[in-house]
Amino acid sequence: MLTRSLLTRRSFILIHHDKYTKNISTWNQAIDNVQLHNPQVNAFVAVEERQVLENLGSQSMQRHEQGTTLSPLDGAPIGIKDNFCTETLPTTCGSKILEGFISPYDATVVQRLKQAGAIIMGKTNMDEFGMGAANIYSHYGTVINPHDQEKENGNKRHVAGGSSGGSAAAVASGMCIAALGSDTGGSVRLPASYCGVVGYKPSYGRCSRYGLVTYANSLDTVGILAQDVNSARLVYDTISAYDSKDPTSMPNNLRTRIDDQDQKFVSRWHNKDDLTGLVIGIPQEYYVDPLSETVIDFWRQGIRFFKERGATIVPVSLPMTRFALPAYFTIALAEASSNLARYDGVRYGRRSQANREEDDEFLYADTRAEGFGSEVKRRIMLGTHILTAGTYDKNFLPAQKARRLVQEDFDKVFIQPNLLHHDEKMTDITENKGVHLLLTPSAMSPAPTIEECLPESDDSNDKRKEHHGAVDTYVNDVMTVPASLAGIPAISVPFEKSNGFPIGLQLLGQYGYDQFLLEIADIFSLAKLK
Amino acid sequence: MLSWWCRRSPTRPLTRFQIRTLVTEQPRSVFNKQGWEAVIGIEVHAQIDSKTKLFSDMETSYEEPPNSKVSMVDLAFPGVQPRLNEECVELAVKTALALKATVQKRSRFDRKHYFYPDLPQGYQITQQREPIARGGVITLTELDGVPEPFHVGLHQIQLEQDTGKSMHDMVVGSTLLDMNRAGTGLMEIVTQPDLRSSYEAGLLVKKLQNILQCIGSSQASMNEGSMRCDVNVSVHKQGEPFGTRCEIKNLNSIRFLSMAIDAEIERQIKLIEKGGQVTSETRGFDVAKKTTFKLRGKETAPDYRYMPEPDLPPLILSQDIIDSLAKELPELPDETRSRIIKLYKMSLDDAHSLLNEPGSLTFFEKVCQGRNSQAVLNWTINDLFGELSKREIPFMQSPVSIDQMGSLVDLVQDNKITGKIGKDILRIMIEEANGIMPQKIVEQKGWARMDDSDMLNTICNTLITKHADQVHKFQNGEVKVFKWFIGQIMRETKGMADPTQVNIALCNALGCKPEDIIDAETKASSSSSGKKRKGDGKKKKK
Repeated sequence: MLTRSLLTRRSFILIHHDKYTKNISTWNQAIDNVQLHNPQVNAFVAVEERQVLENLGSQSMQRHEQGTTLSPLDGAPIGIKDNFCTETLPTTCGSKILEGFISPYDATVVQRLKQAGAIIMGKTNMDEFGMGAANIYSHYGTVINPHDQEKENGNKRHVAGGSSGGSAAAVASGMCIAALGSDTGGSVRLPASYCGVVGYKPSYGRCSRYGLVTYANSLDTVGILAQDVNSARLVYDTISAYDSKDPTSMPNNLRTRIDDQDQKFVSRWHNKDDLTGLVIGIPQEYYVDPLSETVIDFWRQGIRFFKERGATIVPVSLPMTRFALPAYFTIALAEASSNLARYDGVRYGRRSQANREEDDEFLYADTRAEGFGSEVKRRIMLGTHILTAGTYDKNFLPAQKARRLVQEDFDKVFIQPNLLHHDEKMTDITENKGVHLLLTPSAMSPAPTIEECLPESDDSNDKRKEHHGAVDTYVNDVMTVPASLAGIPAISVPFEKSNGFPIGLQLLGQYGYDQFLLEIADIFSLAKLK
Repeated sequence: MLSWWCRRSPTRPLTRFQIRTLVTEQPRSVFNKQGWEAVIGIEVHAQIDSKTKLFSDMETSYEEPPNSKVSMVDLAFPGVQPRLNEECVELAVKTALALKATVQKRSRFDRKHYFYPDLPQGYQITQQREPIARGGVITLTELDGVPEPFHVGLHQIQLEQDTGKSMHDMVVGSTLLDMNRAGTGLMEIVTQPDLRSSYEAGLLVKKLQNILQCIGSSQASMNEGSMRCDVNVSVHKQGEPFGTRCEIKNLNSIRFLSMAIDAEIERQIKLIEKGGQVTSETRGFDVAKKTTFKLRGKETAPDYRYMPEPDLPPLILSQDIIDSLAKELPELPDETRSRIIKLYKMSLDDAHSLLNEPGSLTFFEKVCQGRNSQAVLNWTINDLFGELSKREIPFMQSPVSIDQMGSLVDLVQDNKITGKIGKDILRIMIEEANGIMPQKIVEQKGWARMDDSDMLNTICNTLITKHADQVHKFQNGEVKVFKWFIGQIMRETKGMADPTQVNIALCNALGCKPEDIIDAETKASSSSSGKKRKGDGKKKKK
């Protein structure tokens, strides 16, 4: 609404300017790229029929010729993560238990994209129910990082990251301009960093979750993977709206109040080369031991980029960050164990064919034992344990408290007040002392190989020297999890490559200041292009 | 005011007579002769009478074709979210206010987990930790049938989802599911262990039913399953702390509830007296054997793994909303009872008759407007209730309109027709059920009462001339001859003459005073028992 004129301008750029459509200019090319790369990359688990895509494409072309385009996204090829419900293609969440399941409805965000004239290319691969950081836990196979030049298949290949690995790889290999992902603890930002694309997690409540199959309700966020910040913004502008079907959707009155403030910050830095007055915080708690040298080096370069343009760099402390990871896994797994209880094979999805005479209860046991993969089972078991009487008070409640502390940490460092906790009647919104945005790495390292991600427990013929416990791999999420706990917007922008594999840096903003974050991320993305 | 007694018509016949027996006085014994006391608490699940379900837009239903009233939310499809139904919240708040509970300005929803095919989500959304209301009280008074009034405290009132229905025995080897009920709103109302007998428990449930029906928050019918009860029973000896309690689940009528409590009290006392110990367990009730049986023990009690429902934000209720809902509350049964007893000078029995027959009080009060309430009461409770009861028609389905009834009472009161004819007309109105006005029936049938004193005088004079011997007998003090004359006149007039006018005309003709006759009659036979109820109000007063 507020950026209507901007939108039109960007639409022009998107369609007519090569700079913003480096890899693909039309849906036609996207289809070709799917055919060319998907057998290798395994980004899409279901692709819309060519005939359907061509029809949609020619209809869109007609609208462009007649000047009746539906939106700046009219004709844009878009991928949809397989945990968004769609009426036409199956929605499996990368799981065997939902094999062939076709949802009777479209997710609200999918509906909005369709109404905007976007062409839904297909459903992208993912870690089963969003549980994983490498996209190796999919019933439909691992997603291979498009930057991987290995010819042979095997565990030496590099992963695309997860859980939205399919979406990131699809965008990176030009199968679509942008793709929807979901971000519960970094599932959009991590694969974006590994695949060299933009990964944006809007503020919690900005985009409707109705039709996004739940992993952990209080953390799940609709995310966007795109070739560049502008494409991400176009998708965001299309899908971000209040939805009465999602009780956690940001209500319109709060939206208006935050948007007003947000716009003030958006319009403050007109000149992309002059960021005087902008304060960027560098949280010291993100400087952790497992962080690779390359990543630390790029982080420094990122800081330099802002410094050179006159921005002030401030070291800040978010002391509660150390609680983020345990709090995240406690809350996410507890919610997951509950959310996944509905997959019992009674009403939809796959039901075990095992014919046991003994007892009805085995229908559940067999269906769930056969239908869920190892990581999902592990997380259900952990989550179930967390909710057990006794453990709940010892673990779950402290985790919720820790979550609040992590969130308050952010409120303390940002200049912008958190309007979610701000009284509606207070009209004068005073700025705090602090920073406008935070700059951190998106991941510990560039994309690892498959074998580096496989936990020992899942591989009985394990001959590797290095052994990882399944839970050790959870440490990967440390850069991304705090923003998820706090519900604040975060974006991973591709920054540099190391040995041919990209690395992204992450910008974090105050809750609700999404356009401002996108604006600065857009400027920051120039760093890559220089 | 509103027709608040009943919102939808229950398909059960009049219950007036059952209720009367229930209310008859019974001494409240706390400790029995052997020194035992039973301690009872009740957990009630009342289905909320809202248009749509608690968290989905699907309409609530009763006895619709299986699985015809289900939405994706009810079936827990992937990606759907619950959306709280405001109407359910409002009805729960009203219920809380009516039960004098404290409405919580902030409440939350929790998930209660267990696996069962008729529980689509794998959990029930309920309010374990922060319910919508806490506290509250239901007072049982002498008017309810207890010797001394006492309070039954309420623990809390919570909102939760109903499950679907599993049918295990319809197809061999299969369980059939009907999800129409899944997701319907329930209010769980839990009492403190303040009851001491099955009789009190029955009264309490009945009273709760009346309150819920009155405010329209639930149909609260145990037959139809819109109200279900579990009871907690323990026994202890005088001077000892409360015993270990057992829960008896799924009691679906007040009668079974009372029977189950009695059976359980007996079982526990016998067990203890034999030297055994009551263990905390969940039990069922076998109606045929009149005994309770073990369903599951404590060691197999499920861990429901409660957790806060992450999709639903806390439910915040402002004082303004609570106040405005309080204003919408109708008069509650206790207040109504005191008011009508005072206002219409009716007996407790009559008041209960009206209160326990949904729809009848509103009907009665409307008919009363501008009319003699005593006459209206008689016509409503004796005649209308009686005729409907004979035909097993519930009051809510009574074909007699307020206008019809009012005009019938008017015709009788204005001496246009006799009481006997009035009853005939009432029967016609019920049988024809076409809304025909009494006046019309009178005209069609030619039932208008003779209001012609000249003609009555003529008839009387003719009779006296014709039966000089009888006149002679009368003058010699044989009062019963007067009655004989009345009979003759009634025969002549085909029963349509007004008895009072006939009396006057006959007295005139015979040259006596009506008072003399009455005096003489009472002297002659003081035992005219007949109908105790006030037959004709006027006659009684004079």
